[in-house]
Amino acid sequence: MGPKKGGAPKQRGNATETVEETLQAVVLADTFETRFEPFTLERPRCLLPLANTPLIEYTLEFLANAGVEDVFLYGGAHSDQLERYINASKWRAPSSPFKQLTFLKSTSTSVGDVMRDLDGKHLITGDFIVVSGDVISNLPIEGALAKHRARREADKNAIMTMILREAGRNHRTKASSVSPVFVIDPTKDRCLHYEEIDQHNPDSTRLNIEAELITSHQEIDLRQDLIDCNIDICTPDVLSLWSDSFDYQAPRKQFLFGVLKDYELNGKTIHTHIIKDHYAARVRNLKAYDAVSKDIISRWTYPLCPDTNLLPGHNYELRKGSLYQEQGVTLARSCVIGRRTVIGQGTSIGDKTTVKDTVLGRDCKIGKNVTLEGAYIWDGAVIGDGTTVKQAIVADRAVVGKNCTVEAGALISFGVEIADGVNVSEGLRITKAPREEDDGVPTSEPEVVGEGGTGYEYVPYEDEDEDDTASNASSGLVYNMAHLSLSSDSISTLSSEISDFGGSRSGSFSTTMSDDEESDHFVHDAAASVYDSLRDAVTSDVVQLELVSLRMTANASDHQVRRAVVSAFMKRVAQLMEGGKGAGDAVREIFGKYREIVERSLFDREREAKPDQVDLLLLIQQDLVHRSRGDTVLLFTAKELYDLEIIDEEAYEQWWDDERSSSTEEMRQVRSQTQQFVDWLANAEEEESSEEEESEEDDE
Amino acid sequence: MPSTSGPLTPGLASFLKTLKTNPIDTSIDNLISLLKRRQIRHSRSCATATAYLLRSVISASRTNDANKLIERVQYVGRRLMAAQPREMVVGNIVRRVLGLIRDEAEDDREGDFNLSEAGSESQPQTPRGLDDPTDALSARHEGSDRGASRNPLPALTAAPISMFSLLSHPEPENSLPGTPVSASPSGRWLGFGHGPSKDIRAEVLDGIGEIIDELGQVDDQIAAYALDHIHSNEIILTHTSSTTVQKFLLKAAAKRKFTVIHAESYPNNHEATHATVSGANPHDDELLSTESFQKPLIALGITVILIPDSAVFALMSRVNKVILGTHSVLANGGLVAAAGTRVIARAAKVHQTPVVVVSGVYKLSPVYPFDFDSLIEYGDASKVISYEDGDLVDQIDVQNPLYDYVPAELIDLYITNLGGHAPSYLYRIVSDHYRKEDISV
Repeated sequence: MGPKKGGAPKQRGNATETVEETLQAVVLADTFETRFEPFTLERPRCLLPLANTPLIEYTLEFLANAGVEDVFLYGGAHSDQLERYINASKWRAPSSPFKQLTFLKSTSTSVGDVMRDLDGKHLITGDFIVVSGDVISNLPIEGALAKHRARREADKNAIMTMILREAGRNHRTKASSVSPVFVIDPTKDRCLHYEEIDQHNPDSTRLNIEAELITSHQEIDLRQDLIDCNIDICTPDVLSLWSDSFDYQAPRKQFLFGVLKDYELNGKTIHTHIIKDHYAARVRNLKAYDAVSKDIISRWTYPLCPDTNLLPGHNYELRKGSLYQEQGVTLARSCVIGRRTVIGQGTSIGDKTTVKDTVLGRDCKIGKNVTLEGAYIWDGAVIGDGTTVKQAIVADRAVVGKNCTVEAGALISFGVEIADGVNVSEGLRITKAPREEDDGVPTSEPEVVGEGGTGYEYVPYEDEDEDDTASNASSGLVYNMAHLSLSSDSISTLSSEISDFGGSRSGSFSTTMSDDEESDHFVHDAAASVYDSLRDAVTSDVVQLELVSLRMTANASDHQVRRAVVSAFMKRVAQLMEGGKGAGDAVREIFGKYREIVERSLFDREREAKPDQVDLLLLIQQDLVHRSRGDTVLLFTAKELYDLEIIDEEAYEQWWDDERSSSTEEMRQVRSQTQQFVDWLANAEEEESSEEEESEEDDE
Repeated sequence: MPSTSGPLTPGLASFLKTLKTNPIDTSIDNLISLLKRRQIRHSRSCATATAYLLRSVISASRTNDANKLIERVQYVGRRLMAAQPREMVVGNIVRRVLGLIRDEAEDDREGDFNLSEAGSESQPQTPRGLDDPTDALSARHEGSDRGASRNPLPALTAAPISMFSLLSHPEPENSLPGTPVSASPSGRWLGFGHGPSKDIRAEVLDGIGEIIDELGQVDDQIAAYALDHIHSNEIILTHTSSTTVQKFLLKAAAKRKFTVIHAESYPNNHEATHATVSGANPHDDELLSTESFQKPLIALGITVILIPDSAVFALMSRVNKVILGTHSVLANGGLVAAAGTRVIARAAKVHQTPVVVVSGVYKLSPVYPFDFDSLIEYGDASKVISYEDGDLVDQIDVQNPLYDYVPAELIDLYITNLGGHAPSYLYRIVSDHYRKEDISV
């Protein structure tokens, strides 16, 4: 009551202003994560059904409840599908609570890009709410909003309020692998420090809190018990801050962390609004999907429950025992429907089938003697007689044959057909979406789906645990960069190549560098960013600037910079060659234009020994091992680097003699063609030196 | 903070504000989503919103054909009722509007043949008992017989106030502000002058206007009976923050001194109850502004004892009378009211304490509760167990019913804006207010 009373007169003071100000919201329909693969290969994540209602409905419902009038919806992957859905939905109807619902398409690959894009568009006029398209909440936002406005009124630098839900130590809705830690000054509700602790990674289980924070604040709360539901109330300053720090990608790990760290520099404060009642959660991964589904069915999210029938045309009714059933369900006389179950229209369930803790979509066909426990069966799926499905997801129109067993954590994606009698083992992901590598129709893997089935096992780029992204969630890479919508030249493939590279290299170069995770981040990020710039033909100054800033943030070594540059350059060269260019032309184009970048990563021009240049050549050689026509490219690259006077003759010699460059068969093979160039160099040198000798002789 | 919360949160106020400017279909969808999102809740708000919406629907439909109007209202009504089937008042209002249209249509026809007969009717108060006066008469006997034989409240039967006594002796009661005797059915008799080409639409609009007036006045009308039921030095037990009950008690408190024991109705209504008892402004947007400035009972020198719900049984032996508000009343005399009501009613039964339910007629629904489980809404489980307790949340099912079904035999008397009725007699009021054709819309 205390702070409220303080805020009230101020509210009234600027009442005229606030009334005119319409509340705007930005919905990030794509969160640039891969947690929902393989489903997100074919459908945007926010259209995945949660208790038979697409995720985005809950988010828009939340905004409608909050009285938001302008909504900007940022589509990412499959944005055409999302746009179609939104255009057909009630939110576009004249009765929509939103005065304006703008669908924005962007080529963004991270939240940071979206924010910067938004800043460029000048659409935001006042305070706005940022939510991701997977937020489920029944929280009335007025309280937080009023506090935010009062704070902003008092201090222009209070730029953002995060809404956090208090939850106990162990909670099903909390992220289990990565736990965010908020350091909060409870007297001012100010967030002082933010860090993510990855419980699977022993290196990051420590918090680094600056001593000054502890000395300068009377009271500090360290909280790990908060569900971060990614509902932020922001002032327009936030956008400009995003724009200023163009390398920020993730809203929490980078933006929040960075802004808090730079408090001395920019003086911006970020506040928290911790709620103890009402529901707020994010469906951040499949584990959360399961937990939030349960919450919805147990009515923690009331009134956002199935029997509210958010979608027009739904007619769920609540029966005893948290059983939600639509009209037009066919239940066999002897089937047993247990507690906490949702059954959609047109679904039929056969004799002696047991269903418990399960969500069944519309028009599903469940055979006889089936056992469903904790399963999520989406619209139109067919489950054959005698099959058991436990804690698995069976997506739309998928067919599971007779007498199959689908074990916990299995994900069966859209339209997959599993033959009779197949055992789908734990955590298996089966899809039939076209693979990225081969464009054609994917071949089925009979060992996975049985004879006559369709679908193959989906292996994500990063090895992710089922339901939980575990250690990868913290690696930052998955969180920021790996993005589903990118086509064959995607960053994901790039990054995976880099990590391959990193792995094999650490074998041969184990002495030169310690291969810790932090450096991998940098190499991934930097390589991706440089590669993007090359592709978009950005001038070398800009690339250089970006690279330097990335290097500064990550405190990366020169070697890492070179690694990043090399992998980006080589990737681009390879791509140009695929596009029909000759190897020589491609190399000349890239190195000619971006010579400066390479040059600036070398610092041994004046010295006798050339470790940097040798390192660069080794890196190039290493990279080309995995590429087609690597030997040719290496030759041209070597020649180009020589012509551009980036690398001195001595460096070539040292490189050639370096045992690392001929350590393996592959390495030798790659450099075979360059032999002639080195020979030529040696000859030229000899001639030169003999000339010199001659001239010396002449002098005498 | 009306300045900030007004434009922000959608609710009844914002709905009524936009009703005039928005096209009618938008308003319908708007109300449906408000009902679904529970941004309009409480019987009165739902009823008011429905009545205003139907008035707009009818004024927007450019036809004088009664059948078309009925079809249109039925269509809108079905959608509204599907949106929130547990707010039964929505259906009640729709049915009453349908009844109005049918009456107008029939009058129109009758008027053609039989103007003089209709005009000769001297006391045309009950809307539909008119066709056969003997029927009404016999019903009256039946009603008073029942009242006598059951004799539920000796104190009350001394001055029996049933609807029919009200109708037959209208003089003492006419002082009440806008008694529905004059309100509900009278409008149509104005239509004489128009002859056969009577404007049905205008008549129906008048009728809806009267329903809206009724909704505004109903609490005051009910409160007018307070002095007949609350006597000096009585101990009254009540429950929830119902404004109807509060006005009822306030009216009596102006003249008499008594004690009120107030059960707090945890967990869904305790905050509002506390606010009502202590007189703090409840900050409830749903309540109209005049009601939120209502004085608390304690300001009038009444002793109010706030008790937890669990203490109801222990205190019941000392209570003289239980006065309850309700969410809706069903045709069999049972009622759906805030959770905890049934416990109180049962405790009262054990102690033979009379239970009085105060409710506007608009809450009276013609629905017969075959499956009363389906009438009960389940709310937010976090009010029972805090969501923070992760282990518990994971392992148990928490249910938080918002309403209780109280069977008719636990209720002794209903007081509506028409007077007091025995539960077994409600069917008659149902048939007075709703047409048979409209029971299933």
